[in-house]
Amino acid sequence: MHRALWRAAGALAVAFAAAPLVAQAPAKVPIERYTLDNGLTVILAEDHSAQVVAVDVWYDVGSRNEAINRTGFAHLFEHMMFQGSENVKKAEHFQYIQRAGGSMNGSTAEDRTNYFQALPSNRLNLGLWLEADRMRSLAVTDSNFANQREAVKEERRLRVDNQPYGSAIFEHSYAIYDSTTCFPYSHSVIGSMDDLNAAKTADVQAFFDMYYAPNNATLVVAGDFQPAEAKKLIQQYFAGIPRGTTPPPVECNATFNSGARVKHVHDAQANLPASIKVYRVPAYDHADYAALELLATIFGQGESSRLNRELVRENKAAVQAVTLLNPFGPRRGPGVFLNLAIANQGVKLDSVDALVAKQIAGLVSGGVTDEELTKAKNIYRANAINSRQMALQLAESLQRATMFLGSPEALNTELARYDAVTVEDIRRVARTYLTPENSLTLLVSSEVIQ
Amino acid sequence: MKRLTTTLALALAASVGALGAQEFPKTPPAPEAIKPAEFPPFQEVTLRNGVRLIVIERRDLPVLSISLSFPAGSFYDPAGKSGLADMVAGLLTKGAGTRSANEIAEAIESVGGSINAGAGADFLTIRADVLSPNADLAFGLVGDVAVRPTFPTEEVDLLRQQTLSALQLERSDAGALAARFFAHGLYGEHPYGIRPTETTVQAITRDDLLAFQNARIKPRDALMVVAGDISLADARRQAERALAGWTGAPAAAGAAAAPPMREKTELLIVHRPGSVQSNIVVGNTTFLPTDPIYYSANMATRVLGGGADARLFMILREQKSWTYGAYAGLQRRKGLGAFQATAEVRTEVTDSALVELLTQLRRIGAEIVPAEELANARSAAVGSFPLTIETTNQIAGAVSTAKLLGLPDDYLRMYRTRLAAVTAQQLQDAARRVIRPDAALIVVVGDATRIYDRLKDIAPTRIVDVEGAPIEPSALTVAAEALPLDASKLAARTDSFTILVQGNPFGFQKSTLTKTDDGFLFVEEAQIGPIMSQKTEVTLSGTGETRTVTQAGKVQGQDMKIDVTIANGRATGSATTPGPQGMKSVTVDTEVPGGIIDDNGLTALIPALPWSGTSSWSFPVLASGDGTVKTYTFKVTGTESVTVPAGTFESFVVALSGGQQPATLYITTEAPHRVVKMTVAGAPIEMVRAK
Repeated sequence: MHRALWRAAGALAVAFAAAPLVAQAPAKVPIERYTLDNGLTVILAEDHSAQVVAVDVWYDVGSRNEAINRTGFAHLFEHMMFQGSENVKKAEHFQYIQRAGGSMNGSTAEDRTNYFQALPSNRLNLGLWLEADRMRSLAVTDSNFANQREAVKEERRLRVDNQPYGSAIFEHSYAIYDSTTCFPYSHSVIGSMDDLNAAKTADVQAFFDMYYAPNNATLVVAGDFQPAEAKKLIQQYFAGIPRGTTPPPVECNATFNSGARVKHVHDAQANLPASIKVYRVPAYDHADYAALELLATIFGQGESSRLNRELVRENKAAVQAVTLLNPFGPRRGPGVFLNLAIANQGVKLDSVDALVAKQIAGLVSGGVTDEELTKAKNIYRANAINSRQMALQLAESLQRATMFLGSPEALNTELARYDAVTVEDIRRVARTYLTPENSLTLLVSSEVIQ
Repeated sequence: MKRLTTTLALALAASVGALGAQEFPKTPPAPEAIKPAEFPPFQEVTLRNGVRLIVIERRDLPVLSISLSFPAGSFYDPAGKSGLADMVAGLLTKGAGTRSANEIAEAIESVGGSINAGAGADFLTIRADVLSPNADLAFGLVGDVAVRPTFPTEEVDLLRQQTLSALQLERSDAGALAARFFAHGLYGEHPYGIRPTETTVQAITRDDLLAFQNARIKPRDALMVVAGDISLADARRQAERALAGWTGAPAAAGAAAAPPMREKTELLIVHRPGSVQSNIVVGNTTFLPTDPIYYSANMATRVLGGGADARLFMILREQKSWTYGAYAGLQRRKGLGAFQATAEVRTEVTDSALVELLTQLRRIGAEIVPAEELANARSAAVGSFPLTIETTNQIAGAVSTAKLLGLPDDYLRMYRTRLAAVTAQQLQDAARRVIRPDAALIVVVGDATRIYDRLKDIAPTRIVDVEGAPIEPSALTVAAEALPLDASKLAARTDSFTILVQGNPFGFQKSTLTKTDDGFLFVEEAQIGPIMSQKTEVTLSGTGETRTVTQAGKVQGQDMKIDVTIANGRATGSATTPGPQGMKSVTVDTEVPGGIIDDNGLTALIPALPWSGTSSWSFPVLASGDGTVKTYTFKVTGTESVTVPAGTFESFVVALSGGQQPATLYITTEAPHRVVKMTVAGAPIEMVRAK
């Protein structure tokens, strides 16, 4: 009976895989790309299915650009960008957007800092004007800097120190890379508070001048707008901003397979202990990345993933077990395949850790099934299609394709890269990257290990 | 000629560029004309079994969203079984038709889709999202989950356990407590006022789940909304197939108790000892969802508390810095709705913040809103609408909500036009009717010992504990008197303790009391693994009162420091100590009663007290770490023979309360009375005498 059901389920999955891919692929996004004289890259993508337009600016700067003893700057800058500019007072950016009925925010990752707003389509001009004003005239003052340095410390307390497993995931996991060979990817995005305390306003100004110039930024407008009108506004608002110097290249010579490491992390917030296994993986544009992303889905994303099925539902050893591939998003340098398993009440940390290790070993020796791979591809495809529904998500996808794959057009071909992955590819990447010698294990507990 | 044209073109381009650079506007550009409101058209039919089916065809992407709703929300929970609708919803996808919970997850995830069910106050909704080529599977699953759920015993037990844990957690969550007591206070025994408890969740059996599903999940009165890449004909065929053979109507619901009528404002304090902030909710019941006053009332609550540029936020947070956030909103239900305003404020300013909040609630009904404020609120209301109907899923949700609440067919199409048409006068009239600060319920969750005296004059006040049991105001105030110290009993001494974490030695504490020319010096050094190290020096007068406190150390790598002097009835200085949000620094400048003792010097004085089996003292203590005077209580609860590395001692068991966390001290029954052991409630840490 059971077998028959499984076989039926398998047949069903195959039937869906056999459905013509064309039918499930989203229509090609029409993309226009050009560069202003000052070096600003502009990408326009029209989609009139809703009366919403997104204005999304990515600066090519993240924690990977930070110098030794100057960590945390990229994130501090994200805060500074909301502190006012020549024609926009502190907090006004948010007010203007709110009164227009829009939404906005910014975020910092290893490779980029983004600033975005979704607006009703008659307010495209407002989004562009606000972004241009801060690109041309950010107010870097002593008081703004001092005040945002405190805000960043507060955010650190809230998100890293006061969040169970926060310090392990957002800080200790970076120790997987060696700071002597790859400083850019061996320190955290949140950075060091000592470095921020030691920083002077002049350092912050120099950082702004270096990285917040039009030649280091990409502006995406996506959704319901008229290209001629958008181009005219972009020319008017952005063309007069002077070009900056070209930032220095990022140097990283990360070594893989340098031996298994285990680290105990004390976390007073962790009522339940957790095992975090981190593996080194290559950059987003590497040929193995698509297989790794599908593997992450199969292994630890969703209710029917292996970790959830085995550790949470069957064994009841964990309350949560998930896989994250690069928690802050893609990287142009080496990344992480991170597995988090939080022990259930009364279950020993060692035994949870051993169960995760066993599941990983099973992947390496046995690979994955055709059904699992089909499922992961279908999830990827559904996510890709669903993300086209919102102007802001479309804008972010275009930014990602441009920065990590070299061209916004890659958005229209990305799906093929995932569809081409085979079970052999999955087995090969599991064998290549998910080995003990390539890992760092963090054992997180509120107890102090002697 | 060609050359000339090119040059001219270049020159023109250059001048346009230069002009562009000069012409950066100093003020934001004006909005362009708003496009006419568009809402995707939808079609409605009734299936053979009575299910209403609404289809919104949208072909731009191959996505499909299906929702199926029933009048089966918590409103229909039987007496004593609150939480039943939630549990039914949670279990529908955990076994249905021939599939187990795992198989349902596997089936839907295999195609990159999702399915879930949830219960609100009025309705229970099943929702599935898939790519449109998977329509067969999605309709099939929705049909199984609605019509053929199996409620497997182990899934019932698992969900019950999770629900109980969530309830447990809710008790430590001030915001959740405020919502629970507000709902009950507002609606009384009407179902909207009743929330699940441990008892009702424990009382729910598998038979109850089946009976509820059988009585309420029926085709008549059910609403299916299908949006996306599908035609009406296909959706209808799929729905008929998935729901084939299913018939019947939900049982008639009994009459619900009427919500209490409130003639004047009442205040309920939910006592949460030690709370550093107060969660305030103020509100009243309002109107039925079909009442056209909704549009004006919506605009009034936007101006009052719709976001970060509304009055409550601007005044309570931006101007006064009393709060992390303050908002107002309308709850819309099938039955009588509610207005509520909320704020989380620091304990010390609870009364000021509440008074200001009530002032703003009165002002919105008393004064005409200025044109600029109304224009800002209008532009936010109109502008945000397209962002709420951007995806197929959002569109389906909006249509479903409108239909379930019984709103007219043009509701969504006219929504932003009607909001935009609200005048200042209509706004004020609606505010008067809907926002009733003089006939409101106020719930404040916070430390009643610190807020009762300052709130009781605002409105008639009752106090309850977090379980809802009444507390008399007299029970809150413990009269603090100076401890009956006899300093002649204080002799120079050294005490050494081992600190155990989960029974394992993990640090030490050593304290020394020496006599000085005019009093005593108490020095205490402590080290707990790598977590904490500190050294404290307290100077005491000849009668045992504290004169100075200095402390330096590190907690988890961060420096802490206390430097406080007590003279002429004031404590002054500064302190940086760890708190729940990380390290906090305070300037200490506070009046203190005569004979005050600092909490760091308390253990030095234990031998100077006349201990007996009935000792109970409440006394003022300076908590120098946060610069406040608190009332601590020592109460002997029994005697016990305690064995520690230093030996076995007959000891008084002494409860110490009033500090950060309750602690238990074991103090020798024989003089000189000395501490032999100390434990802290809720922490795996204890201190035992080493010698």
